[in-house]
Amino acid sequence: MEADTASHEPATAIFLLRPDDDDPRPRPAAEIDDAWADRQLLDQNAAWFCRLRWLVAGLLSAAGIAGLLPDGFERIGLRLTPAWPLSIAAVLVLLNGAYALLSRRLPVRPLLWVQILVDLVVLTVVIHFLGSTTTYAPFMYLFHIILACIFFTRRESAAVTVAAAMFYLGCLLAEFAGMVAPTTVLAAPVPALVGEISGGIRMLNVASVFAIWAVIWYLASRLAGELRQRERQLALANQRLKASSDERARHMLQTTHQLKAPFAAIHAHTQLLSGGYCGPLSEQAQGVVAKITARCGMLSQQIQEMLQLANLRSESQSNPPAVEIDLDAVVRTAAARIEPAAAQRGIQIETQVEAVRITAAEDHVRMLVDNLLSNAVNYSDDGGAVAIACRRLSDQAACLEVRDHGIGIPADKLPHIFDDYFRTAEAARHNKASTGLGLAIVRHVARAVGITVRVESAPGQGTCFTLTIPRVCIGAARSPRREGVA
Amino acid sequence: MAYLLVIDDDEDFGGAVASLLESQGHEVAVELDDAKAMDRLQQRRPDAIVLDVMFPENPIGGFELARKIRRSFQNLPILMLTAVNQQFPLGFSNKDIDPTWLPVTEFLEKPVDFGLLVERVNRLLQAGANENDD
Repeated sequence: MEADTASHEPATAIFLLRPDDDDPRPRPAAEIDDAWADRQLLDQNAAWFCRLRWLVAGLLSAAGIAGLLPDGFERIGLRLTPAWPLSIAAVLVLLNGAYALLSRRLPVRPLLWVQILVDLVVLTVVIHFLGSTTTYAPFMYLFHIILACIFFTRRESAAVTVAAAMFYLGCLLAEFAGMVAPTTVLAAPVPALVGEISGGIRMLNVASVFAIWAVIWYLASRLAGELRQRERQLALANQRLKASSDERARHMLQTTHQLKAPFAAIHAHTQLLSGGYCGPLSEQAQGVVAKITARCGMLSQQIQEMLQLANLRSESQSNPPAVEIDLDAVVRTAAARIEPAAAQRGIQIETQVEAVRITAAEDHVRMLVDNLLSNAVNYSDDGGAVAIACRRLSDQAACLEVRDHGIGIPADKLPHIFDDYFRTAEAARHNKASTGLGLAIVRHVARAVGITVRVESAPGQGTCFTLTIPRVCIGAARSPRREGVA
Repeated sequence: MAYLLVIDDDEDFGGAVASLLESQGHEVAVELDDAKAMDRLQQRRPDAIVLDVMFPENPIGGFELARKIRRSFQNLPILMLTAVNQQFPLGFSNKDIDPTWLPVTEFLEKPVDFGLLVERVNRLLQAGANENDD
């Protein structure tokens, strides 16, 4: 959702309700466990590893190309041969290509483990060439350790840390045993200095490196674990809120349904009295019955809106079938339906329609148009005018516009007008009978149908709802017949 | 004067409809149980039926009963009177009337305007009378 307020006169505010504004539905509580959280994290971040590898391949290529230049690194005390950085960059490019192919066939987790182990091997080779004891290169293992702490469980990140230590130790032993000649990128004087370092000091250095890795692993894995725990708690809290909201919707549906039958009987009996079917009534009795009838009308409206909203929210009820409908016909019917009530207050309904056919659940579109139109009439001043128009925007979209010149909505209240039972103080004063559910119904239908609603309003000047309707609406499967009902 | 049968599980509502139709000079019987409705019909054929959809034991009892009635009484006018649209977002209306799956003559939504109800019942009775004449 977004809202912005224009600074020029009149103070018109605009609010945009998009069909995907609502939060995505959370997972069922039973499925929210450590494994689920880890899977989510892996799925969302698996691409990260590949991106990092492209970056490293790029850096190595750049270093290799720089090494081709005469005296490229000599000035800063480094001696870099281009062969190994370019070779390793090529290997990384090939590996990334292979992983991209394998990712379509293998599950994420085993493939990530393969990537990590191969990356550790490649990194060990890089560290060997950079200088396993003469530079700070061994600290590059920390990238892997920290990433493992973020993406894996504590035990798994510890395994990565141990694997890194083993690879580094293997590199040192291979160099010490003369299996591979120690190399370094440092220029000549430093290896001379390194040659003076005793074996004991070297071991102490290596032990210090391992100790630093262990501390960093401990801190990073602990922090990552706590963050993951928070995420799980949030997911559970979200789930509980959702369950509570569902329960409330079910309760509302049940209660309203129970209200419906006695209300229908009351309504029927008041009609018997007011219609004179039980004999003539005194003037005073007629007045009493008229008041009961008026309240019955309000109650009927409330029951209908509560049931519509509860039905829209109920997950147990499937969407009504989408069929081809003429939006202009729905608009004309809605205008004709509200016209008598509007005429009583001297409000004119101006209808300007263009033939537009959309595919949507008819009941949804009817609810949408009815609610917007009755909202416009409810909040118009007596003797005012309400305009409703529909037209084709393109082959993919239609537009519905409902404009009134009524009380309008303050800018700071616009983002709340689609909330259940929300009414501004002015709206509550202007129309005591409104339930505050009409626009909540509009929001739910807009989401179900994939409609974007733009609201433009200025207090005292009126409100305009502009709906962009996809001509083939989402949210309901096509079905010409309600087989499931009968 | 016609004989009308109101089939509705709500005694108060059925009673109110009966009072309304009686005030129009008709003879009206109310049946609260959809399961017993067919027996009632067999005992005495009404000139028209006012039928609810949702019954306590069977939420679509009215639909099923309409089909049963149609099999036995092909030309009997049935006015379906229901709040099913409020309970389920199905948008039933006259356009859904179908000889096979919803074989009723008229469809009206609860809460119903009694003026409209009287008008529709009279229309049904007139249509039924014309068919009998034919």
